[in-house]
Amino acid sequence: MEASEHILVEGLFKAFPHRGRSLEALRRLDLRVGRGEFVSVIGPSGCGKSTLLRIVGGLLEPTAGRVKIDGRSPLDAQKDKDIGLVFQDPSLLPWRTVLGNVRLPLEVNRIDGRRPRFRPQELLELVGLSAFADYHPYQLSGGMQQRVAIARALVFQPSLLLMDEPFGALDEITRSAMRYELLRVWQTTRSDRPKTVLFVTHSIAEAIALSDRVVVLTPRPGQVRAVIDIELPRPRDESLERSSRFLDYAQELRNLLKEESP
Amino acid sequence: MKRTKSGDSHLAGGWGIPTPDSSPYGFRMTGLGSRPSPQRWVILLLSLAAILVALLSACEDEEQPAATGTPAATSAASPESTLTPASVTFMAGFKPQANLPFVGVYVAQEKGFFQEQGLTVKIEHSRTSGEEFRFLVAGEVQIVTADAAVVLERRSGDPPVPVVAFALIGQKGQQGFAALADSGIETPKDWEGKTAGYKGSKPTPDYLAILDAEGVDRGKIQEVRVGFEPQILTEKKVDVLAVFLSNEPDTLERLGYQVRTFDPADYGVPTLGLTYVTSESYLQEHPDIVQRFLKAALKGIYYAKDNPDEAVDIVLKYAPEEEREHQRFMFETELAAALTGAAQQNGVGWMTPEQWQALYDKLQRYQALSGTLADLSAAYSDVALRNIYNDGQLQWP
Amino acid sequence: MTDVPLRPPLADWEPPALAPPRWNGALRAAAGYVLPPAVALTIGLLFWEFWTRARDISILLVPPPSRVIDRFLDRPGFFLGEGMTTLYEALLGLALGATVAIAGAVLMAHSRLAERALFPLAILVKVTPVVAVAPLLVIWFGFGLWPKVCVAALISFFPFLVNAITGFRSVNPGAMEFVRSLRASPLQVFLKLRAPSALPYLFAALKVSLPLSLIGAVVAEWFSGDKGLGLVIFTANYQLDTPTLFAAIAVLAVIGVALNTVTSLVERRVLFWHEAFREQQ
Repeated sequence: MEASEHILVEGLFKAFPHRGRSLEALRRLDLRVGRGEFVSVIGPSGCGKSTLLRIVGGLLEPTAGRVKIDGRSPLDAQKDKDIGLVFQDPSLLPWRTVLGNVRLPLEVNRIDGRRPRFRPQELLELVGLSAFADYHPYQLSGGMQQRVAIARALVFQPSLLLMDEPFGALDEITRSAMRYELLRVWQTTRSDRPKTVLFVTHSIAEAIALSDRVVVLTPRPGQVRAVIDIELPRPRDESLERSSRFLDYAQELRNLLKEESP
Repeated sequence: MKRTKSGDSHLAGGWGIPTPDSSPYGFRMTGLGSRPSPQRWVILLLSLAAILVALLSACEDEEQPAATGTPAATSAASPESTLTPASVTFMAGFKPQANLPFVGVYVAQEKGFFQEQGLTVKIEHSRTSGEEFRFLVAGEVQIVTADAAVVLERRSGDPPVPVVAFALIGQKGQQGFAALADSGIETPKDWEGKTAGYKGSKPTPDYLAILDAEGVDRGKIQEVRVGFEPQILTEKKVDVLAVFLSNEPDTLERLGYQVRTFDPADYGVPTLGLTYVTSESYLQEHPDIVQRFLKAALKGIYYAKDNPDEAVDIVLKYAPEEEREHQRFMFETELAAALTGAAQQNGVGWMTPEQWQALYDKLQRYQALSGTLADLSAAYSDVALRNIYNDGQLQWP
Repeated sequence: MTDVPLRPPLADWEPPALAPPRWNGALRAAAGYVLPPAVALTIGLLFWEFWTRARDISILLVPPPSRVIDRFLDRPGFFLGEGMTTLYEALLGLALGATVAIAGAVLMAHSRLAERALFPLAILVKVTPVVAVAPLLVIWFGFGLWPKVCVAALISFFPFLVNAITGFRSVNPGAMEFVRSLRASPLQVFLKLRAPSALPYLFAALKVSLPLSLIGAVVAEWFSGDKGLGLVIFTANYQLDTPTLFAAIAVLAVIGVALNTVTSLVERRVLFWHEAFREQQ
């Protein structure tokens, strides 16, 4: 892992106006993510993890504080197509085919030639859905749709992938399978350009299985409570989840989260 | 590795659009599913049959004769001997206004002439053209007013409408044409190259007859169908407009527009005006009531002739939104027409076979009738008139 | 791209044999929808025929279906020709009304101010009775096609406006967020997201407006012009020619049903991806 920072969050404040008052979502949050790191953000409901992700992704403006991606503002990173987004709802366009959905970023606001890109067909192969290129989202299961969303997010080979509980709507079995799918995809594309992932979840097992580091947030207003380094070897698979080290990490995180819950 | 399908709740991801429909009719055939099974077919047919049976049996005794129009008391006395009280519903062919047949009825009602004839009369007005005939045929009303030509048209229609005129109030019709005085149109010949507006479904025989009489080339006139708003003339959408001479010209002048009128009579085209009409069956069953009604209505007309101001007052009672002066004009114009022709000698409402024949010939000539009339004389009946008048004098009571 | 498969991709079940519905499926479905009402209609007609004869009802009030059919068969070309005239007017009017409505909806969907300013006007249009406006339209626009097209347009306007506004606004927020993150221009957002989202609503509006625009054209024909089923109805009504009246109404009904069926077929094909059409699963 390189030492230079990819994401820098300093003194981040975010407040929302709500019924005449101000609702503080994030307060004095500091975070640093290195290039190529896989970092999970975990915390109790309402702690502001999704808000944090959206600010890093350039979808929300911070109320105060600094957010830099490779020295640029998130908005600039967005314009450079350097960020890939995957949210809990895959939000595929139902009238387009699977291939058409993956191709969507290429059709919108082209920045021809300035960026390398994957061919949509290749991406579908990567996520294992090349046989479904001409199908429509309604014909796919939730897990498959989410895989399309991941493929879609990777079109411009972004250096940063932001994921907000992408597997939250899936059943347990699919969910744990998708976890390792994601790792596989991440590892595969990693060799060309190291890809940083900021991953929001509220599943402890998921956070541990996926990440190099886990950031635990306090309840609202969110701050960094703790950062746990996950020193488990890669490549990882499900068998890891039964190891004692995994279970230790899980216990540690559970304790951290439990303390916070009112 | 096989897996179960999951996350179905998010198929097409939460688009949350309220479902339109998948059936062609804009609604779901609830309970039937997309392809009804044979059992459901049987149920559908059986219930349909049950409904049919129920409807048929429920309608057993609906065919009572209309309550109105028959003698109220079922007395054994013959109609001629005493004045058996009776109820009649009268429907005027237009909205309330001072058309002469209406005036006769309004006055007869207000001055108690109907009462003296032992009649209770309910006065209605037709709101859409032709409605009065429909009510007549259905037995809902017993006496209506109609243009003499319309009587012949309905009788020759397919299907024919069995109505009979029993008095000709308008010895001369009010159908005519109007043009703005400043339009430069002075004779029918000037209609060439202009636009003529007609009401109804096609140009009237009077229009065609005038063209014939004056040698006007019909092909040079653009004919368009119009509604009842006189603005169509003042806005110059048409140059010549079919009007009722007792009505629109006066209206237009009161609006400040000078008009020139064209009366078919001036071009040798005879017209007949409004009549009192009843159905064949009613005339057959209750000639006495028809006669009594006519007698009272005619007395009403004579009364109005002698008391025009009071008559207009009475009209305004039925037509409060109308303008007094305009109603006066309408009344006087039609009254003048009513006193000409056969009425001069024989009294208002008189009619002769010659008049009807002339009308029929004109209508035939200009193809205004859908078919020929086997028996023209069945279209009118002067029996009541003969009983009412003695040497041109109205016998009262 | 170097591929280091650390584990093979998840093997899904065999691609299901599902495919988007094609035309032949839609036609078969259409037949399934036409047959039941046709049978019910026939039963109803038989009952009607039987009753008018048994009760000796005057033809001037209710004609038996046999006479109506006779009248139609006497000159089918006439009825159908007049029907085509009315249909033409209705479709032109609908196109006009829909275009104006959709344009208005685009404006209102993007600007709440525009909506607040213009929507009450739209309601005014909707609430005005057509029969009051039709004669005025004749005075303004003359005797030709225009008054009828305008009436049909006025009637079609509101359903399209309301449905289009709702449709343009009913965008999946997640998709909107994603497309915005791609820095899409408002035009691209509209073309790629809002417009397709609105399609189900527009089809619904079409189904509502098609019969309405037909009625609008018919009513407008009462007031001027020398063609169209409206005039046939008007004249037949005046002459108490009930067989012709009913024949004209029947032709109008058939046109309406045909339009609806065609719309549904097209809708099924275009909106196959929508929840409402996934019966095969």
